[in-house]
Amino acid sequence: MQIEQPIIQVSGLSRLYKEVRAVSDLNFVVQPGDLFGLVGPDGAGKTTTLRLLAGLLSISEGEASVAGMDLKSESEGVKSRIGYMAQEFSLYAELSVVENLRFFADIYDVPVGEMDQRMERLLGFANLLGFKDRRADKLSGGMQKKLALACCLIHEPKILLLDEPTTGVDPISRREFWNILNQLHLAGTTILVSTPYMDEADRCSKIGLMYQGEMIMHASPREIRQQIDGEIVILLTDNWKKAREIVSNFPGVQEVQTYGEALHIIVDDADKRIKQFERNLKKANITHQGLRSAPARMEEAFISLMHKMEERDVV
Amino acid sequence: MSFRHLLAVTRKEMNHIVRDPYTLVLVLLSPTILLLVFAYALTVDISHVPVAILDQDRTQTSQAFVQQIMAGDDLDLYGYVDSIDEIEDLLARSKVKAVVTIGPGFSDNLYALKGISLQINIDGTEPESGGYAVEHISLRATEFVDDLLADQIRAIGIDFESFDPIDLRVRAWFNPSLKPRNDLIPGLISMVLGIPAMLVALTIAHEREHGTLEQLLVTPIKRTELLVGKMIPYLLVGLVNVIFIPALARVLFKVPFNGNFVLFFILSAVFMAAILSMGIVLGVFMKTQSAALALSFLMIFFPGFFLTGIFFPIVSMPDIMRMESLFMPGTHYAIITRGVFLNGVGLEVLWPYTVFLAILAFSFTAIAAIFFKKRLA
Repeated sequence: MQIEQPIIQVSGLSRLYKEVRAVSDLNFVVQPGDLFGLVGPDGAGKTTTLRLLAGLLSISEGEASVAGMDLKSESEGVKSRIGYMAQEFSLYAELSVVENLRFFADIYDVPVGEMDQRMERLLGFANLLGFKDRRADKLSGGMQKKLALACCLIHEPKILLLDEPTTGVDPISRREFWNILNQLHLAGTTILVSTPYMDEADRCSKIGLMYQGEMIMHASPREIRQQIDGEIVILLTDNWKKAREIVSNFPGVQEVQTYGEALHIIVDDADKRIKQFERNLKKANITHQGLRSAPARMEEAFISLMHKMEERDVV
Repeated sequence: MSFRHLLAVTRKEMNHIVRDPYTLVLVLLSPTILLLVFAYALTVDISHVPVAILDQDRTQTSQAFVQQIMAGDDLDLYGYVDSIDEIEDLLARSKVKAVVTIGPGFSDNLYALKGISLQINIDGTEPESGGYAVEHISLRATEFVDDLLADQIRAIGIDFESFDPIDLRVRAWFNPSLKPRNDLIPGLISMVLGIPAMLVALTIAHEREHGTLEQLLVTPIKRTELLVGKMIPYLLVGLVNVIFIPALARVLFKVPFNGNFVLFFILSAVFMAAILSMGIVLGVFMKTQSAALALSFLMIFFPGFFLTGIFFPIVSMPDIMRMESLFMPGTHYAIITRGVFLNGVGLEVLWPYTVFLAILAFSFTAIAAIFFKKRLA
């Protein structure tokens, strides 16, 4: 079997705004058909990375190619081969759903004979058939996102770059949006999507973790979860502040993360530590509503990695 | 350049204009409204012009003459003055717009059939009122002489029609060159048609502020397609103004239109292309709508007042300003509008200005396309 060329190739890529490095020395590849998630907190450089790959920003250092074309010399060529969706709503508010689609169909030179059929199919795909003539600014947030996606699919690009497509969208629309992405993924489209949500990261086939302008890791979700060197114990208690103090000082405890009233404790041996926690909490008169071991999730792995990065920065 | 891309941008931009009532009103009506405001402010219907009299004759005849010229609503008698110093003072403080001096021999000369001689001093800073007063007084003075002396003149066998009894000496103070307003309105037209250019300057910044530019820049659209596509709708609405503004000038202000309207329309389209591409240049450089608006006021609207020769003759400008006014499309268009409206001339006279406008349109568009980068930063 022939080894496929990466569809996106990034090496040593940096972007400077004056003196500030928005992204620094990125190295990663995306294979055809990947659903690649760029994951990281706000300000990590996700948007800058996507804008660089879309040819919207000039490259300060390093190399990048998309669909086999070098972004430094052929960025206009790249543009007709990708679909890019900006983080903020970026369609024409005073145009209707159909007019927006038509505008982009014209700009991307969609063959006139196919245009109506494609628009119909995309509107069906995005569940917007009933809203054809509604002005874009009169759509709900979720519908606006789906319309934006439809607009960047009108020329049937092989590569999609989506910048936080579900930020600010209600949970049901989020799920619907991801179902659409999964369909595209199954149909073979390469998707590079940024997200601050860990549950979304779990739905990707590859993940690049970004933190302060750097890609601290890129791997499959499973490999990232395996970064947690230990087991997770979840402790549910009303008096979580006190409980946190007690468990933090235990031998074998690597890290304690707080999620509301739940403490997620990363330990060397879950069964052994649960018994010890039980005894000590009783001694301190702290009641709890649950103390159990759980599989490591993306979120814990990511926060754990970020803590390590922060410690590195402090040192 | 792809015609399909151009049409797509034009259609989108047209929808933007038509669907936003404020933009539509701004583009379609503001040139007209501005023209009305400026033109009416400068050519109001005049009545009750305050006038003072210096009567050095002090006879019954001179009294009767004053009554005759002051009859009706046109002039108001402010009062009598006693000396020439007072005249200057009253005019300087704008208490009166004109002062009529009736010389010592007024009635004697009149009855000796030597005619009458009057001096009228007017406030040259408001030539409208002063000029109106002069016109009015000369008319009434003729009537006065006619009523009084017609029979007598005929009796002694002088041909009454050739007898010109009035000798008016008008002195305009403070602004000796009284410009007729006919000349002003064609000039104003070149200024108010700059409004669409101010709006086109905003459209790029508008897209930048609303995030739509980001989505547009990521498409394979060419820079010229985008920029020219944005100008076309404003050119079209501008040309709507080109049709009804001359009509307005003619009906409301009685400005003659002596030239060829089709020619005027075509030359106006060339002017619109030049001023719009100037607007696009500003739009390319300004990142926000407020900055684009401020700059287009400075670069498009104000120069219309000062540099295009509408109010101040270009020949009287320092060289550097003359150079600058060469690059203002309004300079050339003001000459074209005057030429077509008043002098009724055609391309045989106006071609150099037309060619220059075309060059400006082309160069501004080229500058905009060169400096407009298909990137965000």
